[in-house]
Amino acid sequence: MSKIAYIDNQPFEMKDGETILSFIKRNSGEDLVPTLCDAPNLDPYGACRVCSVDVALKSDGPVKAQASCHTPVMEGSYIFPSTPRITKLRKNIVELVLTDHPLDCLTCEVNNNCELQTVAAKVGIRDVRYPAGKNHLDKKKDLSHPYMTSDFSKCINCARCVRACDEVQGQFVLSMAGRGFDSHIIKGMNTTFNESDCVSCGACAQACPTSAISDVFESKSVVPQEKVRTVCTYCGVGCNLDVAVADNKVKSIQAPFDADVNEGHTCLKGRYAFSFYDHPDRLREPMIKKNGKFEEVSWDEAYDFIASRFTEIKKTYGPDYIAGISSARCTNEENYLMQKFMRVVIGTNNIDSCARVCHSPTAIGMQRTFGTGAATNSIIDLQYTDCMMVIGANPTASHPVTGAKMKQVAMKGKTLIIIDPRKTELTKYAQFHLQLRPGTNAAVLNMMLYYIIKEGLEDKAFIESRTEGYEEFKKEILALNIPELEKVSGVDRNLVRDAAVAYASAKNAMSFHGLGVTEHSQGTFTVMLIADLAMITGNIGRRGVGVNPLRGQNNVQGAADMGCQPYQGAGYLDLKDPEVISKYELFYKSPFPKEIGYKIPEMYDASLNDRLKAVWIIGEDLVQTDPNTHHVKKALEKLDLLIVQELFMSETAKMAHVILPGASFLEKSGTFTNGERRIQRVNKVVDPVGNTKADGQIIVDLMNKMGYPEPDYDPAVQLKEISGIVPFFKGVKWEELGINGKQWPVLEDGSDTEILHLDTFKRGKGKFIHNAFKETAEIVDHGKEFPYIITTVRELEHYNSGVMTRRTRNSRILKEDVLLINPEDARKNSIGDGELVTVESARGEIVIKAKISDEMKSGVMSTTFHFPEIMMNVITSSISDSEAKCPEYKVVACRIRKK
Amino acid sequence: MALTKEIRFNDETMALVQRMMKRYPEGKHKSALIPILHIAQAEFDGWLSPEVMDYVASVMKIQPIEVYEVASFYSMFNLKPVGKCLIEVCRTSSCWLLGAEDVIRHLEKKLNIKVGETSADGMFTLKTVECLGSCGTAPMMQVGADYYENLNLEKVDQLVSRFKAEGKRKSYTDQPEPRSL
Ligand code: SF4
Ligand code: SF4
Ligand code: SF4
Ligand code: FES
Ligand code: FES
Repeated sequence: MSKIAYIDNQPFEMKDGETILSFIKRNSGEDLVPTLCDAPNLDPYGACRVCSVDVALKSDGPVKAQASCHTPVMEGSYIFPSTPRITKLRKNIVELVLTDHPLDCLTCEVNNNCELQTVAAKVGIRDVRYPAGKNHLDKKKDLSHPYMTSDFSKCINCARCVRACDEVQGQFVLSMAGRGFDSHIIKGMNTTFNESDCVSCGACAQACPTSAISDVFESKSVVPQEKVRTVCTYCGVGCNLDVAVADNKVKSIQAPFDADVNEGHTCLKGRYAFSFYDHPDRLREPMIKKNGKFEEVSWDEAYDFIASRFTEIKKTYGPDYIAGISSARCTNEENYLMQKFMRVVIGTNNIDSCARVCHSPTAIGMQRTFGTGAATNSIIDLQYTDCMMVIGANPTASHPVTGAKMKQVAMKGKTLIIIDPRKTELTKYAQFHLQLRPGTNAAVLNMMLYYIIKEGLEDKAFIESRTEGYEEFKKEILALNIPELEKVSGVDRNLVRDAAVAYASAKNAMSFHGLGVTEHSQGTFTVMLIADLAMITGNIGRRGVGVNPLRGQNNVQGAADMGCQPYQGAGYLDLKDPEVISKYELFYKSPFPKEIGYKIPEMYDASLNDRLKAVWIIGEDLVQTDPNTHHVKKALEKLDLLIVQELFMSETAKMAHVILPGASFLEKSGTFTNGERRIQRVNKVVDPVGNTKADGQIIVDLMNKMGYPEPDYDPAVQLKEISGIVPFFKGVKWEELGINGKQWPVLEDGSDTEILHLDTFKRGKGKFIHNAFKETAEIVDHGKEFPYIITTVRELEHYNSGVMTRRTRNSRILKEDVLLINPEDARKNSIGDGELVTVESARGEIVIKAKISDEMKSGVMSTTFHFPEIMMNVITSSISDSEAKCPEYKVVACRIRKK
Repeated sequence: MALTKEIRFNDETMALVQRMMKRYPEGKHKSALIPILHIAQAEFDGWLSPEVMDYVASVMKIQPIEVYEVASFYSMFNLKPVGKCLIEVCRTSSCWLLGAEDVIRHLEKKLNIKVGETSADGMFTLKTVECLGSCGTAPMMQVGADYYENLNLEKVDQLVSRFKAEGKRKSYTDQPEPRSL
């Protein structure tokens, strides 16, 4: 039977556990009751009492004022939201707040967009009757930080900022100190934003109802002409952004509360690192290198030049002497067009994308075991899981919004297992940290499988009904040499056993992995072991479980989905299958290349061996980010034609013959697919700067120049074509994607999919394939001579090669790459904190500043690759994953000496 | 003011701290924060520096700011350096009626400091507080774990000389002196 409560004597059905406020909002409108300390993404708190309503047990019984935002509705109660008594009470409360508030609204940055102002007007305040008394009006502003600002003379002590920092970001920077009249907000141990541990996520500024905490863009103040909803261009979380635009300029960015992905949160990259888009360094004109110098040319001249060179090379050598590298930063439609250009216009399968250097092993590994190379579950599943296992990933830096959610889940007492050579931020919240030596993921995962079987914790029913190959697999696992694996990985076997037991006995266990899994010579095999762990424990096909790669770039999922790989066309159809080829031929009404093409690392070798003459690269800085820089440079130098389509003069662009200036995500439309397979709409916010064009339009123009008729770039048009060939895009329509997008597979009727492999796997039965641990050649060949291991990582503030984030204020927060080195190793080599160190590997050497830190174990060091000054990849190797050819960035044998 | 020793509990204190945390159900050990802060304050020069609070947070595995918000709420935690003897004179009604103000003025003159200040030799800090629940023996003051009651100016002089001669730091966690009424 439904339960009833009354609002102004009218009966309404109530929900269990609902607050009076949400009950009123649901039934009598959002705006009936004013609030100050309540916020849509925070737990009820009850500090301001502005939301008070009268509550009685009988229609005509005695009433009592209750703060509606944190009082549950009682069955059969009578609620009176706006009696004269209550309105007077509210007015008085707000009036008291205003006695200690500077009344300089007209010059305040949030004028017209201030919740206090709105509430004051709503409760009908004209003037404040109380005389000026003791107050906090002389509080100093804090302008110390590149982004965050505060002016606590405007603070009303609602604690929304404190709760945002605790409940949303989990950073615990802010708090209320003192008591009574002296209560005040502090940052860290009473310092400034700049000195505190603040990670500039902006949650507090967005939560603050006044301008007491804000940011340098005055994000709350901007009364824009327009707000455009789009998707962040940085990581694979795919946060939705509300971009304020005025006069064709981006003013500020806020996070929409109704976004499924980020629910009103972002990290500093999404919210604040946008000013690169109209930076003076942006490439604004097409350029051709003439006599060793770049000269600006018209688009037509650039197109003609490229078209004639392509035609010539194709005629002289054949189409397979041309290759394209598409970008995981571009939209699905653009990636689709790029592979179509290469395959249908040029006639080669030499098309790859930067997915190669990050999650290609995930795609292959998961395809082999499950049949689909994508995350099995969704981020919302974090709410339902009992155990998180994070392998080779540092989400609080690389996938910050998801990382923040993981912290919250761990703080609520859910089990957290971390397998990582670093003491990442998440390890502080973890029950188990298996701190292995880089390159031994497979050893540790094998040990876990061993203990699960030994302890009899396998899910026999699941194995029986949904998988194949188990008996053989089990035999091989039980034959493992555990002491040997313990020795190579350096992780105590009892710790591994306890973690394995925790994972296997959790009701729902979810695994996440990042590039610390894939960027290894055993990357694909490691992914398969992670999938084995999920299958052996039955953690597949329901809420709160699964195997979930944390996709690195905003659209790395999409680039692969769209067919930017040399062995699979759009929709992952296998090019070795003649039927697939005829299907494509029919669809494109054109001959289709049959030879499998080159993966990126193979392109370098092909060029050096005179089997590749021209490469067109979109949005990827191979020279700075691909391993073994010397090798990459030599290969690119040898080309007859290098076309680079870029936002900035990257290290790779400097080597180009032709530069095409592309448009950034703010200047074009399309779709990005995030790490949970969610296809979301990217909407154009401003016009392309200078003479730049959307990458999709550039490809279309060149198609037309080369004699292939293709309509202008328009995501609705291209999506329609894509839905005709990519099976899991069947029901995707531009107009129907809505604000939150859809998760593929999208069926013909438009319905989408949160969880994969519910009843059967894509490939029918899940396949157990055992892969033993094998030491990487890097250690076998060079380990003696180069006894240390260096592993590459990323920091929160910068994004990969840093071309974008270095051109924002993020570079004031993090200024350089440093070498993290364990205190013991530093002592042994007489290296002091901040001193320069020469790091030498078999390929070359770099000089870098040391930072002594116990984040790393002795013998292992780490560094980032965000700054071109260091060129970290001079020392990384050309070794790559045996299956996917993803480079082994994570294990570099080296030696160090003080410079 | 630099601390006089490394910020680290000795084994005995650490064992006591661990025992205090174990008094509470799992996950609720944060409740031991106040007694542990008293121990830390006594141990590290009578006040809680940010470094000491960070240390307490790391020992208790809680966020540093959770320590700071509690420490800044209660007046018995000192967030600034204090002298070895923190003299807290009650100034509420009963004590006030019976001469608390004279006691305070006298101490100010004698120690050559104002309320809230610390003497040049680092020996004394003078503070006024609200009723300490000893109205029957007003006027009174508290130093460390002890109450000094039925004060008059001579008694105050004697006490000050005694504290000076002893030169010892007084803490709330000290064993109280035997009472001689
Ligand atoms: S910006 Fe984020 S991390 Fe910094 S204080 Fe605000 S909520 Fe906390
Ligand atoms: S700074 Fe803003 S959010 Fe924080 S307590 Fe003050 S008014 Fe509320
Ligand atoms: S978490 Fe990722 S998608 Fe979200 S704002 Fe940050 S970089 Fe952008
Ligand atoms: S909104 Fe309910 S008490 Fe502030
Ligand atoms: S008034 Fe001083 S102890 Fe009560």
